[in-house]
Amino acid sequence: MFRRNRRLAVLSALAATAVILSACAGSPEPVKTSTGEPDLDATLTVGLVLEPTNLDIRRTSGAAIEQILIDNIYEGLVTRSQDNEIEPRLASEYEVADDGLTYTFTLNPEVTFHSGTALTSADVVASYEAVRTDQTLQGNAEFANVASITAPDATTVVITLTEPNQNFLFTLTGPAGLVFQSGDTTDLQTAENGTGPFTLENWIKGSTITFARFDAYWGEPAKVAEVVFEYIPDFTAGVNAALDGSLDVLTAVDPNLAPQLEDSGDFTLTTGRTTDKAVLAFNNAKAPLDDARVREALRLAIDHEGLVEAVGAGATLYGPIPELDPGYEDLSDVAPYDPDRAKELLAEAGQENLDLTLTIPSFYGTTVPQVLVSDFAKVGVTLEVDAVEFPTWLEDVYTNKDYELSFVLHVEPRDFGNFADPDYYFNYDNPEVQSLYADALAEVDEDASAKLLAEAARLVSEDHAADWLYNGATITAVSPVVTGFPQDSINSRINLAGVAKAAE
Amino acid sequence: MIRYTFTRGVLLIAGLLVSSVLIFLTLRVFPGDVAQLIAGTQASPATVEALRESLGFNRPLLVQYSEWIGGVLTGDLGTSQLSGASVGAELAEKAQVTVPLGLMALVIALLIAVPFGILSALWRGRASGTALSVTAQALAAVPVIWAGMMLIVVFAVWLGALPAQGFPRGGWEQPWQAFRALILPALTIGIVEGAMLLRFVRSATLQARGQDFVRTAAAKGLTRNRALVQHGIPAVGLSIVTVLGLQVAGIIVGSVVIEQLFTLPGIGRMLVADVGTRDLIKVQSELLVLTGLVLVIGFIVDLIHHFVDPRQREAA
Repeated sequence: MFRRNRRLAVLSALAATAVILSACAGSPEPVKTSTGEPDLDATLTVGLVLEPTNLDIRRTSGAAIEQILIDNIYEGLVTRSQDNEIEPRLASEYEVADDGLTYTFTLNPEVTFHSGTALTSADVVASYEAVRTDQTLQGNAEFANVASITAPDATTVVITLTEPNQNFLFTLTGPAGLVFQSGDTTDLQTAENGTGPFTLENWIKGSTITFARFDAYWGEPAKVAEVVFEYIPDFTAGVNAALDGSLDVLTAVDPNLAPQLEDSGDFTLTTGRTTDKAVLAFNNAKAPLDDARVREALRLAIDHEGLVEAVGAGATLYGPIPELDPGYEDLSDVAPYDPDRAKELLAEAGQENLDLTLTIPSFYGTTVPQVLVSDFAKVGVTLEVDAVEFPTWLEDVYTNKDYELSFVLHVEPRDFGNFADPDYYFNYDNPEVQSLYADALAEVDEDASAKLLAEAARLVSEDHAADWLYNGATITAVSPVVTGFPQDSINSRINLAGVAKAAE
Repeated sequence: MIRYTFTRGVLLIAGLLVSSVLIFLTLRVFPGDVAQLIAGTQASPATVEALRESLGFNRPLLVQYSEWIGGVLTGDLGTSQLSGASVGAELAEKAQVTVPLGLMALVIALLIAVPFGILSALWRGRASGTALSVTAQALAAVPVIWAGMMLIVVFAVWLGALPAQGFPRGGWEQPWQAFRALILPALTIGIVEGAMLLRFVRSATLQARGQDFVRTAAAKGLTRNRALVQHGIPAVGLSIVTVLGLQVAGIIVGSVVIEQLFTLPGIGRMLVADVGTRDLIKVQSELLVLTGLVLVIGFIVDLIHHFVDPRQREAA
């Protein structure tokens, strides 16, 4: 869903100083030497920021749940790689008919649930029927055009759609595509019965979640015996935990604290790409933002390069589709940094002295709003920042669309459809974009579909329906004894399949 | 005696019931709800509505209230709407941080307030006495969060003597680290609360100084200050017990702020997080427990007062 970005600047500064001092005080540990042989009995300790609120992945949205559960505990017929390519998983193969309406999946033999029961096509049908019919399940809306889900035999599943949907397979890589044992009564909020290479060992709320290797796994077994996810909401505390040797991997490292870890010599830092889009939403239906000149002026007033620098990681992004999604195109020509032109546009629109309010969930911190306030001030726009709790944002902005400007990080891959949905909180209604998007979904050929998406994305950016402040990056610190830890998209998926820890 | 305890007890229960209604209703005014949070930002309004229905939000408020309070009366504080976890169990777990923190803060507050409060009364009119009360006045006015940040800067950052934040992940299985983690937070609350209490002790002592029995003792050959220390202090002690209820309330409020500042996994931090996720059943049970704590302490203080103070006993 959303990822926490920054904390109170004051606290960070204080804490950062504390880290520096403590780092100076102790002598650095010698760099670990390893034999390089994976230790199959090893425990891997991974530091994460946001803890899931519960483990019911079927009902609860949120990257924190998907991040650890999908591929490790639960599996779907298909999954996606780090760069968002679709790969078979429980299905050994799948076939999409030429008309794009019929999907035929062949199941891998000998898949068993953690309960010991063998998986059959009936479990798949039951799981997907539930998504199709139960509105409270994640992905219910994406299953709207599913006509039927059938199991001709024990290892085959056939899904037919009422119309082609280029996104359908991708939907199956998410929570909606996971397979659960039919008729199972496990309480999914706190326990699991998946098919993945790991089982849930325990969950100490507010602290750790522990996975253990599932020895009867149908595929290649995990290379570590145990994985402990340590939830450390405070960035500085996370770095401290890494420095004192209690973590093998720290994810979501604060860019400002990254040098600490690098200098210690105990960690290698990787910078991973994500589909996180930092969206500065304009309420397209509300004056004066219903005037495209005003929206364009606001975009031209923002120094995106400077903003990325202030944030500390990531890249500029000038349209709704990030590099990892189909339909990406460099749109920097649409909104180059040009405060003078911005002032002209505002003058043309008769808005020389504009007062606007930015509604932002408070956990994103102050870096982004501060940059916006100062950039906008240079073109005569006074920005008032209204930091609210996330549920308040959901109510006021997302549901009631009562806002002028809003900032959140949209982390979902392939969520361009939000700009083709006039009811989404952007209030952006362009029939041409909507029909291009519909065509892109209905297009059976992948490349042709991506082309249509790119065309639609350009239109959205040229309409200045929103501004895309940056495309987030995620920094991970990995100990040299750990190999195979994923790098990209790990804020939404940490596939532990190939991860090994060398014997020390 | 029994009648007094009984009337106080009835008042206590009435107080708790009224608080439970107030807590329940005020929380319903908050914008946003847990259904929206569960559904997230890709959900359709229909999904959110279906979730609301399944969570029981669409039932009349009276039904929701009676279900909750009925559970509380049978000792069941309910389950979190977000995690399905038992509220009682989570409170007990977080109490392992907050209760020791509160007790340490209380001890520190008393250690500051009682000796210095009495001294500042004894030294009244002298420069040292004035200095003491001015310092107390200033400290009492300091916001807890600011005091905490100053202590972090001095003891954690400059001196590196104590941890700046956090609590050992093993909890009290690492008793020394756990204790060290609570020192700065307890000092922060203790100093600010202690400064407030100090002023109270001072005025109670000054009052005692003018009492007949102190004067009589002085007339029998003691110095005025000695008479005060020997005969007046028990009366001061009684006054301290009286404000203990208020002190506990102050410490609870302080712990909400301080646990946030020091990232301590205690009740205060949990409460803030639960309000942030609109986990209302959890929030209302937590608030009720805290309110109950303050009311019960007030009740006990009343009883103690009644037992100890002969005038009150006779009046009843």
